[in-house]
Amino acid sequence: MRNNSIRAIGFAVAISLLLLIANMTVPKTVLSMDQHTWSDQEKAILGSLWIGSLGSLPVDPSNKYSDNPKAAAFGRKLFFEDHFSGNMKVSCATCHREDYSFTDNLPLSHGMDTTPRRSMPLAGVAYNSWFFWDGRTDSLWSQALGPIESKLEHGISRTMSAYIISKYYREEYESLFGPIPEITEDKWPQKARPAQDDPNALKAWVLMTPEQKEAVNRIYVNMGKSIAAFVRTILPQPSPFDHYVEQIQAADTTNPRMALTNDEVAGLRLFIGKAKCTNCHNGPMFTNSDFHNLGLPQNKKAASDEGRSTAITQVLSSEFNCLGKYSDAHPNECSELRFIDTSDKKYVGAFKTPTLRGVTDRPPYMHAGQFATIREVLEFYRSQAQNPELGHGDLTDKELNQLEAFLHTLSSPVTSLQAEVK
Amino acid sequence: MRRILLVVIASISLLMGCAATNEPMPGHNGGMTEGHGHGDAQITQHFDDSLTKLTDNDLYSLELVIPNKNLMMGVNTVEIIVHHATGGDVAQGELTVTPWMPGMGHGVMEKTVITERGGGLYSVDNVVLSMTGHWQLQVKVSKDGKEDTAVFDFPEVKAMGHEHAMMKAPPPKDLDYSTMKMTSSDAFNVMYKSTSGKIRINRIHSWELTVKDADGRPVNDAKITVVGDMPEHGHGLPTQPEVAKIGSGGLYRIDGMKFTMPGWWVVTVSIMVNGVHDSVSFNLNIL
Repeated sequence: MRNNSIRAIGFAVAISLLLLIANMTVPKTVLSMDQHTWSDQEKAILGSLWIGSLGSLPVDPSNKYSDNPKAAAFGRKLFFEDHFSGNMKVSCATCHREDYSFTDNLPLSHGMDTTPRRSMPLAGVAYNSWFFWDGRTDSLWSQALGPIESKLEHGISRTMSAYIISKYYREEYESLFGPIPEITEDKWPQKARPAQDDPNALKAWVLMTPEQKEAVNRIYVNMGKSIAAFVRTILPQPSPFDHYVEQIQAADTTNPRMALTNDEVAGLRLFIGKAKCTNCHNGPMFTNSDFHNLGLPQNKKAASDEGRSTAITQVLSSEFNCLGKYSDAHPNECSELRFIDTSDKKYVGAFKTPTLRGVTDRPPYMHAGQFATIREVLEFYRSQAQNPELGHGDLTDKELNQLEAFLHTLSSPVTSLQAEVK
Repeated sequence: MRRILLVVIASISLLMGCAATNEPMPGHNGGMTEGHGHGDAQITQHFDDSLTKLTDNDLYSLELVIPNKNLMMGVNTVEIIVHHATGGDVAQGELTVTPWMPGMGHGVMEKTVITERGGGLYSVDNVVLSMTGHWQLQVKVSKDGKEDTAVFDFPEVKAMGHEHAMMKAPPPKDLDYSTMKMTSSDAFNVMYKSTSGKIRINRIHSWELTVKDADGRPVNDAKITVVGDMPEHGHGLPTQPEVAKIGSGGLYRIDGMKFTMPGWWVVTVSIMVNGVHDSVSFNLNIL
């Protein structure tokens, strides 16, 4: 008995010594080289996430002004203009703050009143196929028009918007889009809009002449197209992650100044491997632009939300969609709308995968700000290990730390090219 | 192949066991299901995963076997084993099987083809389900002037390809990623290519499909459906692609293809022409 214990202790000591020797004989440099060794398949994935694979801004065939610098400069003014609101205090920039990655820090955004969802970040938004959390518009210009007429956001009407343009921006507007009629307060009801939530505004809209409605719609649409021309120039800059990919692609792995720390690299390895984050957060914007129901807890301050499910008919019936009369696209160019998945039941409670570029700079998280920190988001995903859509492997606390460290490397300044044009 | 095997097994077991002796025989479940009918009426079941039913007036016991496990949109074959509810199989009975969509109030033009295999087993071929959704199979049995009916209900018939759903399976090694294949019953040769070259994630794109028959002649005017699926995740494409014929030469164009997740995808192309229905599944690895 005693002999056995002594033998066991001796064995343990011998093993420990062996391990110690083994550890000592492995130079640290070899370990760090292993850290930066990626298979060809992994390199291909890194390349697909690299900002360099974004390519030039995608053409928006429905907006012929999208790459017009004058329209973008005009749109920039409209973006920051707080006259387009019921209290003269709300502009697009209220919830898309330039100093906060063009989003805000609230769980539920607040314009004229509290909205049911969080504001979306705008950096690289032009690379999306669908807009808003539920994708209820199919272009950036039609997206820009939604909040203006929403009671909770800007809280004014399209007729009032047309009136403000005619009064304060006439020259600039006409130099881009041609003449606008005289819009007088006596003959043009200021609160008129085709509203489902305001019978008086709807009645006023219905009583307008077809010519008046058409004139207002044209001005309203051109406002949206100008704002979109500006917003599409808001882009993420290369991040430490992107510099790291460049180092890997250049086989510069012995550089003493690798762009990522060992923990960050370990997090990246989990991100594209075991944790399967790239299932949805893929491509250079770290999003597949698709809609998923994650089974998130509900924000108790927000009403229950059907998400994509109800947005499908909204985008199909929108007068401002890609196939509508205000679109500049040939119908064949409206691929997303033509092949939209109409299985609404499949998308109950589903919301768009958001970009992860700059994600740690802009808490809170999820479509209704359910989580205050990125750590809570990671903890949530870990708790969903049994969900086939969300299976992120059995992640340890250390691995969660590494993933969090990696997400910080996606931060970069957000700039608008338009800022230089002015 | 699987179907033929099933018919052989079913025929042999029926002839050897049940049919020959009228004695209960051990089935896959280790014994015949005991009667859960009304009064004297008994349900006889030979297979584990079959569906059973007594006809409305308790005259017959029906056992419905679906070789592919689920009915799919397209052309199906099923087997029906008919017993008297009092025991003993129904040979030389008169059987009709009619597909019906209760929600739509219509059936299909195509007639099912019924062949008696012996021992109470009948093969029902050409069960055409023209769309996805709620279907019923209405079965009428007549023997010696005694007629009775039963209805089998299928609340959710899916398009072919969806049987992969929720396998949660990683891709098997040595997956065949070829872009030209014969359909599963060798009726057609199908080739696809992306019209914009390499298929890239998150991009809507088009495929060009070339369909030929087994002798290499182009197949025109086929009805073609396309279903995409991720076996590891149990969901399909984020789009609804459309298939259009381009000229002759067996050429078709599939617009609206889009893959939004990296990894193993299975795209199943079903082809129906002149009463022949066959399908082929292509594996893709999306990066």
